[in-house]
Amino acid sequence: MEIVVCLKPVPEAETRLRAATDGRALDSEGVKFVLAGYDESALEQALLLKESIAGSRVHAVSYGPGPRTEEVLRAAIALGADLATWVEAPPGTALDPIAAARALAAAITSVPHDLILCGKQAGDDEAGLVPPALGELLSLPEFSSVVDLRWDAGTSRFRFLRSTEEGGERWESSGPCVMGLQQAWNDPRTAKLPNILRSRKATIARRPLEPVPAGPRSESERFELPAPRTGARMIEYKTPAEAAQQLVRLLREEAKVFP
Amino acid sequence: MPDFSLSAEQESLRDMARKFARTEMAPHAAECDKAARFPDEIYRKAYELGLMNLNVPTEYGGSGLGVLEQCLIVEELAHACGGMTTSVIANCLALEPIILGGTPEQKERFLTPFCAQYHFASFCLTEPAGGSDAGSLKTRARKDGDHYLLDGEKCFITNAPHASLYTVFATVDPDLRYKGITAFVVPRETEGLTTGKDEEKMGHRASSTSTVRFEGVRVPVVDRLGGEGDGFSIAMRTLDQTRTPIGALATGIAQAALDHAAAYSLKRHSFGKPISEHQAIQIKLANMAQSIHAARLLTWHAAWTIDHGSKGTLESSIAKCFASDAALHVADEAIQTFGGYGYMKEYPVEKLLRDAKLTQIYEGANEIQRTVIARELLRQYA
Repeated sequence: MEIVVCLKPVPEAETRLRAATDGRALDSEGVKFVLAGYDESALEQALLLKESIAGSRVHAVSYGPGPRTEEVLRAAIALGADLATWVEAPPGTALDPIAAARALAAAITSVPHDLILCGKQAGDDEAGLVPPALGELLSLPEFSSVVDLRWDAGTSRFRFLRSTEEGGERWESSGPCVMGLQQAWNDPRTAKLPNILRSRKATIARRPLEPVPAGPRSESERFELPAPRTGARMIEYKTPAEAAQQLVRLLREEAKVFP
Repeated sequence: MPDFSLSAEQESLRDMARKFARTEMAPHAAECDKAARFPDEIYRKAYELGLMNLNVPTEYGGSGLGVLEQCLIVEELAHACGGMTTSVIANCLALEPIILGGTPEQKERFLTPFCAQYHFASFCLTEPAGGSDAGSLKTRARKDGDHYLLDGEKCFITNAPHASLYTVFATVDPDLRYKGITAFVVPRETEGLTTGKDEEKMGHRASSTSTVRFEGVRVPVVDRLGGEGDGFSIAMRTLDQTRTPIGALATGIAQAALDHAAAYSLKRHSFGKPISEHQAIQIKLANMAQSIHAARLLTWHAAWTIDHGSKGTLESSIAKCFASDAALHVADEAIQTFGGYGYMKEYPVEKLLRDAKLTQIYEGANEIQRTVIARELLRQYA
């Protein structure tokens, strides 16, 4: 099985975020970009499927500027991806999700693909637009919030659950199809040291970004950090009973949540 | 100007070690410390990721890293737990004599099967009557045909109860002092080799330490490393290679102490403001940061010196000595920043002081490091 997994480099979770001087984007100066969140799960799931289906390959594809995009692809190779394609975004390109889907779709159409896995949403903007846009651009069925993804060799179909507000929907689909993955069978693995060393020497196919046809585009107007939270009030007390009494009084008299 | 930036490869190695340290080691550090538990399952994972035989060349199944890369990894591991780090990196110390003193045939015979599976090895130099004075060791090696008979006792041997291979230093003639010291490789199953009870230690309690006794242990001549009398040189050259990562281990403990202290200082209030706004605390944090920065740079420099083909005796002694003293001081100041809470086992900093203490003692006590530093220094003036 040929599994394509789409990855997006995102700021490390511990990053102290700042707005860039134009106030319209994240200041990426000194920010460490990593493979994280649902994308990490998508890659893990791709590797698990590869390990359970003989003759499978995992092809990591990412769109973005260097060096962060190349680094994320090397991380994917260290974890077990067989191939990697980097669709290069010129430095300073605004990373509109639909433009990203177009760039990824162009790369995917030129390689074999039985399954296209993405994280259900990116760890930074959490837009969740790339998987459905990819389905649309490639004219393939698309499923979001996928968990418990299995390959049924008997029927040659994928069987999986879609996680919804109400619970879950059980689905099956033939390939190729696009999936926005919510959770892999297990926690993402850690790359082995020798594989990290090997990944540094691996070849990454580079693809220039093709001119984007005119169409709807989104543009960031302002990027600002949420205001620091205020209004917390510490209750001074000697006994838990006294704390509860004071809390009830404050909820009734000040917050007015009780009549 | 020297270039202090790390390569993308070095950064990836450090990231991987950091991830392992924070997700696999740190959550169990307090529990293993309290119970003096040797977390076999964590060490097995460390082995599977390639973190255990860092210095063994790849042709024998190790990770084949330079000393600088080892330091980057060790600092990250030690940030999570000094004791676990000691057990994870002890193979590097135990196997270095084979790397330095073994023939290609011996390396193939010992290192390849060893590295192919999850195994521990122990470096057996220190004896009950002498650690720093390695030249006066008493374990005897008596030639008996095509074998040697080993008799004696080693102590404070890291991972000894769990090891499958021991590199042992014994003397063929005590009167020859250091010229009689000879190195051997002894597999665990050899008759007459026994390990003692797990020592109850002040720190590094996730690591395991015991005595190793040799009673008429028959070692084939082909398992001797180098010639008779080469052992002292092999031991010293081994320590030249492994001392610098101990500086990195100490730096990791110190960085953890600063991280805890700085975070706590922002949350803890006194006199109407966070204690981080009091100069008394700011000065502490600034001094801690300076010590750590200096320790790290000395460690990197020593590692770089060795990776560029020098013995690095002076540089590695300075790095190990400075970083371990810094770790003790920084951990102490972290406790002081926490005040009474810092003295409580419920908080993480008192463990750091106990773990830091060992870095001043093992792999050459700091008094010996200073002797070495002075000797190397005075040589330049003589």
